[in-house]
Amino acid sequence: MGFLGEVLRDAFSYIADFGPELRAILALSLVVAGLATVIGVVVGVPFGVWLGLARFRGRGLLLALVNTGMGIPPVLAGLLLLVLLWNDGVLGSWEGLFTPGAMVAAQALLAMPIAAGVTAGAVRNLSGDAQEQLAALNVGAIRRGWIAGREVWPGVVAGVAAAFGRVIAEVGAVLIVGGNIEGETRVLTTAIVQEARQSNLGAALGLGIVLLAVALMVNIALTWAQLRGEARV
Amino acid sequence: MSEILDLRALSWVVGGRKVADGAQLALHKGERLVIYGPNGAGKSTLLRLAAGVVGDRDGSDIAYMPQHPYMFRGSGRRNLLLGLEASESNRAEVLAKRLGVSNVLGTPAARLSGGERQRLALARTLASSRPIVALDEPLAAIDADDRDAVIAVVGDAIGDRASLLVTHDRDVVVAFADRVAVMIGGQIRQIGVAQEVLLDPGGDDVAEVLGHQNVLIGTVVRSEGPLVQVSCTGLMVWAIGAQAAGSDVRVTFGAEAVTLHTVAAGGPEAAKDSARNHWLGTVRTILETGRLVEVVADVGQPVAALITSGSMDGMGLQVDDKVALSVKATAARTVTAAKQ
Repeated sequence: MGFLGEVLRDAFSYIADFGPELRAILALSLVVAGLATVIGVVVGVPFGVWLGLARFRGRGLLLALVNTGMGIPPVLAGLLLLVLLWNDGVLGSWEGLFTPGAMVAAQALLAMPIAAGVTAGAVRNLSGDAQEQLAALNVGAIRRGWIAGREVWPGVVAGVAAAFGRVIAEVGAVLIVGGNIEGETRVLTTAIVQEARQSNLGAALGLGIVLLAVALMVNIALTWAQLRGEARV
Repeated sequence: MSEILDLRALSWVVGGRKVADGAQLALHKGERLVIYGPNGAGKSTLLRLAAGVVGDRDGSDIAYMPQHPYMFRGSGRRNLLLGLEASESNRAEVLAKRLGVSNVLGTPAARLSGGERQRLALARTLASSRPIVALDEPLAAIDADDRDAVIAVVGDAIGDRASLLVTHDRDVVVAFADRVAVMIGGQIRQIGVAQEVLLDPGGDDVAEVLGHQNVLIGTVVRSEGPLVQVSCTGLMVWAIGAQAAGSDVRVTFGAEAVTLHTVAAGGPEAAKDSARNHWLGTVRTILETGRLVEVVADVGQPVAALITSGSMDGMGLQVDDKVALSVKATAARTVTAAKQ
C-alpha cells in the first residue's frame, strides 16, 4: 500500500473510531457555526431586504460595502474582534477572548454580510411589476419587507446556505479569537491545521472529510427546500 | 364640488422632457375622471405619481391598481386579501364573487390566467376603504364579452368615492367617465365633461386619438334581434346591443358614421336607405378642420357629423338650416352605463 492509501486508511479509521475528541470538535463546530449563521441571518436578512427595497442616497455605497463584507478575509474579521476583545479593548471587560462566544461573534461577522448581500440581490431582482405592486399595497414598511422576503425566499435560503458554508469552513477568525484550545475552542478547521502541522495526516484528512460531509448535508437539506419551494411557487 | 386630489403639482421629468404633467388636473369629490390617451402618453406615470409609487406624494389616500397586477407566492386568496383589514376583506370576498373569481381563491396564484389576476387585483383594490380609487387599464386583460359586467361591478364598488381611471380604450371613457382628460406626449391636451370632449375634441391631435364620438345617454325600450331601441332625451336610437329593456345605457357612434341630408332634397320620410336611424334637426355649428368639416346639428340633443369639404360645398349648408341625419344601427353601439 502506497503512502496515499495509508493516509486514507488512517483517515477512515479516525472517523470510524468517532472518539471523544472528534465528537467534541464536531459538536463545537456545529454549535459555533450554527449559532453564527442564525445570528448572521437574523440580522443580515432583514437588513438585506431593506437594502433591496429602499431608495435613498448612498444606497449604492452601502451595497458596495456589503459586497465587500461578503469577501472579507476571515483573519481580518478575527483580528478586528481580537482588538476589541483584548484586555484593554472596548469589549475587554467581557473577558470573552478565547471562548466559543468570541468564535460565534467572529463568524457572525462573516455570515452577516453574506446573508444580507445575497438577500438584497434577490430582492433587487424582483420584477418591476412585483416592486410596483409592493409599493401599491396598503401595508407598512415592515409588512412590505416581509412580503418581499417571502417572495424571494429561495434566494434567502441560498444566502443562508452560503453563510453557513463560509463560516463552517473558515479557519482564520476562529483561530485568532478562539485560540484552538484543545477541548475548549478547537473546531474542525483549526483541528485540521493542528493535526497537519503535527504530521498526523490521517487525522487531518479524516477531519476534512467530516467537514465536507457536514457542509454537504446542510446544503442538500437547503437545496431540497429550495427546489420544493420553486416547484410550488 | 370640493377638490379631493390635486394633480397640478405633479410632474415627472426624464432626460429634460416632461413625460407626465398633471397641469390643470384636479379630482373632485365623488367624481369619475378618466385619463385617456395613446400608449406612452404618460398616463400611467401620472397615476403612479398620484399614488406615491414614484415621486414625493404620500399616496395613502389612494387605493391604486397598477397596470400589470402582480400576484405574489401563495393562493389567490392570499393575494386577494393582501394588505386589507378585516372589514375590507369581507368586501373583497364579495367582490371576488361578483367578478367571477371566487372559485380560484384556493388556486396557487402562479397558475391563474391574466383575466383572473386582473379580477383579483380589482377586487382587492376596490375593497380598500381609501377615499380615492385609481385604476390603471382596469379592463386590459378582461375578455370583450365580460367587459360590460366588469365595468358595472367596478362602478358599483366605487360608489360615490372619487376615482381616477387610466385607459386607452374609448369604451371605458364612454361607460365610466364623468370627465375625461386627454393626455398626449406627457401633456393634458384637453379636459372636460366626457360627452362634450368625445363630441368635440379640442384639437387635431386630440381628435386623432379620440375621434369625434357621439355619446347619447338613454334607456333600452325594447330589443329586436341584435339591436336594441334606446330612448334618449329627445330622440329614439337603434343600436347594436343585447341589454334588457329598462337598462341604462350609453349609445356611441362616430361622427363619421352620420350621413347628412338637406331636408329640401327629400328628408327622412323620402329617404330610402338602409339606415334605421333618421332624425330631423337644425344645424348649430359648422367647423372646418383641415379637409373635413364637423357639423353639429340639434336633433333633440347635439349630434356631430363629419363630412368632407366637397360634400359640404355640394350641400351649401348654413347654420340654422334644417337637416336630416341618418345613422345605420350597426354603426351605433350600446355600452352599459357604470352605476353611480
